Amino acid sequence: MSHGQVVVETKGLTKKYGKLLALDRLTMSVERGQILGFIGPNGAGKTTTIKILVGLARPTAGWARVAGIDCVSEPRSIKRVVGYMPDAFGSYDNMRVSEYLDFFGAAFGIARRERARRIGEVLDLAGAAGFKDLYVETLSHGMQQRVAVARTLMHDPEVLILDEPTNGLDPQARIEMRQLLLDLAVRGKTLLVTSHVLPELAHICNRVAIITRGRLRAFGTLGEVTRQLSPLREMEVLLTGPETIGRVEQVVRQHIEPHAEVRSSPAESVVRFRTARGEEELAGLLAELVAAGVGVAQFREVQTDLEEAFLTVARADEEAADRRAKEPGGRGPRKGAAV
Amino acid sequence: MRAILRRELLEWLRTRKALALQVGLALACGLLVLVRWPTGGIGELSGVRSLEVLRVFGYGALAGILLLVPAFPATAIVREKVRGTLTLLLNAPLSGASIYFGKLGGALGFTAILLLMTLPAAGACYGLGGTSVRGGIALLYSVLALAAVQLATLGLFVSSRSQSTNGALRATYALILAVCLLPLLPYWLLHGTSPLIDQATLWVRSLSPVPAVMEVLGQRDVGTRGMTTGAGAVLRYLLLGGVMSVGCAAVTIRRLNRALLDRARPPGVMTQDRPLGQRRWRRLLFVVDPQRRAGSIPSWVNPVMVKEFRCRRFGRSHWMLRLIGVSAILSLGVCCLAAAGVLAWGLEAIGGALVLLQIALLVLFAPSLGAGLISAERESGGWQLLRMTPLSPGSILRGKLLSVALPLVLLLCATVPGYIVMMRLKPSLADQIVRVVATLGLTAVFIVLVSAAAGSLFRSSAAATTASYGVLMANCLLPLLIWLGRGAPFGHRTVETALTMSPVAAALGASATPGFTAYELLPANWWLTGCVSLALLVFIMARTWQLYRPE
Repeated sequence: MSHGQVVVETKGLTKKYGKLLALDRLTMSVERGQILGFIGPNGAGKTTTIKILVGLARPTAGWARVAGIDCVSEPRSIKRVVGYMPDAFGSYDNMRVSEYLDFFGAAFGIARRERARRIGEVLDLAGAAGFKDLYVETLSHGMQQRVAVARTLMHDPEVLILDEPTNGLDPQARIEMRQLLLDLAVRGKTLLVTSHVLPELAHICNRVAIITRGRLRAFGTLGEVTRQLSPLREMEVLLTGPETIGRVEQVVRQHIEPHAEVRSSPAESVVRFRTARGEEELAGLLAELVAAGVGVAQFREVQTDLEEAFLTVARADEEAADRRAKEPGGRGPRKGAAV
Repeated sequence: MRAILRRELLEWLRTRKALALQVGLALACGLLVLVRWPTGGIGELSGVRSLEVLRVFGYGALAGILLLVPAFPATAIVREKVRGTLTLLLNAPLSGASIYFGKLGGALGFTAILLLMTLPAAGACYGLGGTSVRGGIALLYSVLALAAVQLATLGLFVSSRSQSTNGALRATYALILAVCLLPLLPYWLLHGTSPLIDQATLWVRSLSPVPAVMEVLGQRDVGTRGMTTGAGAVLRYLLLGGVMSVGCAAVTIRRLNRALLDRARPPGVMTQDRPLGQRRWRRLLFVVDPQRRAGSIPSWVNPVMVKEFRCRRFGRSHWMLRLIGVSAILSLGVCCLAAAGVLAWGLEAIGGALVLLQIALLVLFAPSLGAGLISAERESGGWQLLRMTPLSPGSILRGKLLSVALPLVLLLCATVPGYIVMMRLKPSLADQIVRVVATLGLTAVFIVLVSAAAGSLFRSSAAATTASYGVLMANCLLPLLIWLGRGAPFGHRTVETALTMSPVAAALGASATPGFTAYELLPANWWLTGCVSLALLVFIMARTWQLYRPE
């Protein structure tokens, strides 16, 4: 659900650690109620971006705003509007879950009575109500993840930045977590979520940002991103039987182009091809197949999934890095400007 | 075993700090000998001067082993447990004994290297005469080596039973206090009562490495109130220390298997959820029920301070009450001793013992509390969470320092009744007692700040604790080693200057402890300690801000 108001915004965000360019002119914006899936390989610059957004790091250039607050000049105000769940849990010894949350509530200045009510609320929301009296250090990884979500929600932040929130959760808990994130978005929270489980992100995110070597490679809705990455659409024709596969291949080549990439699978009775043609031309192709007496059970566009989009970016990135490394005097893959 | 030993040892040896420590130690020992080296071609045939150097060197090495060796074994197993790497180790085809001896070897390997660095200096002592290899230097090294093994096995034993690195460090240093100092008390208090008790206390005393080192250095009667202890302290220590080390090792190896991780999660049943009968029964048993849900942190209290107390096993209200109870009983005991003049010790002697006890507690406990204030947070990932809260770095630091200061205040206050009784019995002592209490208070502040400052420089709480003890040793105990060499090799002025730098010496001086009355240490020490404490506070504030601010 999008509410139109930009809540997280970065412009030309750049961060250098000595000679290492960790973030290269990152520009993006997320609206209220949106869930942004922030994807990239390890060391791509995700954590650096997050650290700048939550006021734990300063950019070398550019700016970032969260809920209208400048992350650079007002890092302390940022903390009240952002809830950050890092990948490390941050356990304390000899503390029960309720005491743990009570401490963070007190640190955020929540009044005593309100805090007690809030602890119950966030534990319920995170599905961790049963852990209230357990010692934090004895919790399993999955239980700690739930408590970490509860801790992040304690001060009721406007923006939630969650690093691998489903890591270590069992399948049922993963589904519950996905539902929780969607519920939070419905309540008007803006979420920035990183995960290496891309199909999971594809289920919940209405915005995707793919980042490699510090540079934003793709940004937008999943459809926009896949279109940015590949202008060709993948079409699939499911036949009633494998007998007419040869005929279908012929018609497709004639209709699309003689050298079109057409793949068929007699075992599945399927023919797949990639094309840049529009809807009308594809409708014409379907009519021609039917007229040719082909038994068409389904004629549809195969949605490029997030994994494929990510792999496209990662492969292009690797190829560019290889090319650069082979160039005379070429730099190594991690140093210098991003591809 | 070899793989673990290599990892443990190389991990530390690769650091620049390790190299600096080795070179520093060799230089310090070399300098010590150089000071006493005969000049002008005139040698001293009696060997007294050589023995003096050996004493300073021997006590220094023992203090170093007592304070620096246990930190690494104390965290060796629990750190693996916390990081989750213990599961990997137990899943590897390694026996519990292999893991154990790998870790023990790692801890002892570095100690052995450090002891080796002191060999040239010991050789020079031998060259100066007055001591032999077999009965002197070799025996001293044997006792020191056994002390290292005893403390390392004790540290590993605690580590295998702890759930956190910080808790392991505190428990280990508490046990070291118990093993090294407490066994000396029964002999001191009860010697001469009956032959059987004499013999028993003599054996109990030999559990500590201190009498053995004293005997090797030719000071076996020091601190025994003029009564001879008889020979054989070294042999008894080699026997008892060896048995204790083997015992600790056996128990720890037995624990080092999958059962260590095979623990049910505590059910978290709270008193409020129990039946009425059980609730009433627990009300009778506990003043503050540990299973009762703790109340919310009041808005007017620093939350970091409360968090620090709650994170410590002994920081919980029920434990604090128990500690207050024990302190009060001890204090009353001291009052009774002072009032009755037991064993005709005299008030000054009781006062001196009291000061020594408090200083020992301060030096042993304060660093294990203070060193982990920031380093433990950084180690566990909690520091990042604290930085994400709107708490200012000043507020975080205040909460943390208060959480260490309050137990120490409690510790100091516990003996106040004893001092009051002394003042009532002998009003002329009032001025002296006020000076002692002021010096102890300042010493506590200084020790906490030194530990916190040293600890803030490290990411691992074990390294932070070792560094804290190292700095404190250099500042508090090194001047005492110079004091041991008073008259020769060090002159009155040198000793006084050195003692002025040590808050421990100042406290002993203020309490008119024999041996310290000849030196005018106050108020110069107050000024020095105060100024250094202030500088340390500024340093910690700057360091906290540096760690807190955006990267």
